[in-house]
Amino acid sequence: MPHSHSHSFHSHTDHHDNHHSHSHNTIAPTTRIVCTLIMVVAIVATPDAHWLTWLIYGCGIIVLLGMSQVDLFKLYQRFAVESIFVSVSVLGILFRDGEGIFWQWGFLKITLTGLLVFGSVLCKLGLTLVLMNLLTLTIPIPVLLQSLSILRVPPLLIAILGSMYRYLDLLVEEFTTMRRAAIARNLLAGKRWQRLVIGNMIGSLFIRTYDRGNRIHQSMVSRGYQGALPLPKSLKISWRDRLAFGFTILFAIVGQVAFYS
Amino acid sequence: MPQFLILNSAFLAMHIPDGFLSLPILGVTWISTIGLITISLKQVESDYQDRTVPLMGVCAAFIFAAQMINFPIPGGTSGHLLGGTLAGVLLGPWAGSLVMSVVFMVQGFVFQDGGITAMGANIFNMGLIGTFGGYYLFRTVRNLVGQGLRGIVVGTAIASWFSVVTASAIAAIQLAISGTVPLLIGMTAMVGWHVMIGVGEALVTVATVTFIWRSRPDLLYTSSKKMNSELLR
Repeated sequence: MPHSHSHSFHSHTDHHDNHHSHSHNTIAPTTRIVCTLIMVVAIVATPDAHWLTWLIYGCGIIVLLGMSQVDLFKLYQRFAVESIFVSVSVLGILFRDGEGIFWQWGFLKITLTGLLVFGSVLCKLGLTLVLMNLLTLTIPIPVLLQSLSILRVPPLLIAILGSMYRYLDLLVEEFTTMRRAAIARNLLAGKRWQRLVIGNMIGSLFIRTYDRGNRIHQSMVSRGYQGALPLPKSLKISWRDRLAFGFTILFAIVGQVAFYS
Repeated sequence: MPQFLILNSAFLAMHIPDGFLSLPILGVTWISTIGLITISLKQVESDYQDRTVPLMGVCAAFIFAAQMINFPIPGGTSGHLLGGTLAGVLLGPWAGSLVMSVVFMVQGFVFQDGGITAMGANIFNMGLIGTFGGYYLFRTVRNLVGQGLRGIVVGTAIASWFSVVTASAIAAIQLAISGTVPLLIGMTAMVGWHVMIGVGEALVTVATVTFIWRSRPDLLYTSSKKMNSELLR
């Protein structure tokens, strides 16, 4: 998936320059994360072939998309790139063995079981992808990390995540530069040679990285860092947050119950 | 076998998306992953102290960058590094699996590469099995072969091949228990494919570790590193 990384890396870092949608900014990021996670779990937990449930959830997500005023084209772009990579694995399910042959062409056959599982996975995959993209498009990553600390994720882990996110761009760029240099010197021509050169490049990048980490640490210490991390801000829950939270749970349950009625 | 071709390129990075795994599998893998992360955070903090945040951060960014580069795999296709064993050999089992977990979290949360609910399973497969298992296999082989470069090369090669193949087999089992992909198809496709991916992984990991051993042997993880850092204080 290297291409998906490189492609989405830019599309993901770009959006920080743009203005975020303002409409549901009144609801705290923490609430939005919790509500998204509740919905993602509800979607994934839905048993196979409960189409009505996913239809209800899908309608809810469409309403949410409209309310969020998110750039639909940007969402579509990200969704398209991501779904190309997962669609290959979904197709594998379509041709699985099972009862009731639906369609056959030579050794390729689609069974009813295969079709059921395929459709179900497709629904779950599509809905969760849209929801997660909506979340990351409307919350800048630093705010997302801050919110995680309010949600009781260990502060040390969040600090590491933040530090990784900060240096990601730099290291990717450094690696791209090294690779370009190797190509310019015709070092990536032969196949066997190529693996050795890439191994050396990764090794060299690690040495630079480790030294860089120590330098960063020294500069942090020189600015007064003693290993203590800032404590998360206390959470203010407004009536909007409570309402959003309650509504999400209700909606998730209604979706599940609707199938049986 | 069509399934073989179709599933082939799908799980290259073994990032299982949302919707593929059933609730019991998600639960078990999440619980083990939270346990692994909690213990490794404690271990790493006592090993690296106030260097934890900058060092683990850049090392995670390093693994992420290293995963982006494509190289030819014997057999005609191309793939990229998964880096589990590499992280284990360079940073040790605890820091290595912590770094791999952080990579999976950022990939899942920020890039939607690998599902949110499946994150526990992804970290379990590559962090616990790939890195933790990879490191201890490396250490066992190295102790058997010898402490010099030969021990490192043989240990790294065997550990990185096995960790990739084992992680893919466990992913196939998880998919089968979830009822998504039958075991036989999953095993043939995933494991058959990762037998080749593993060869590429082993070759590149060996080249990387050899390079570091030749130029900066002090950066390779030794279990006595903890002692050194305590001496330095």
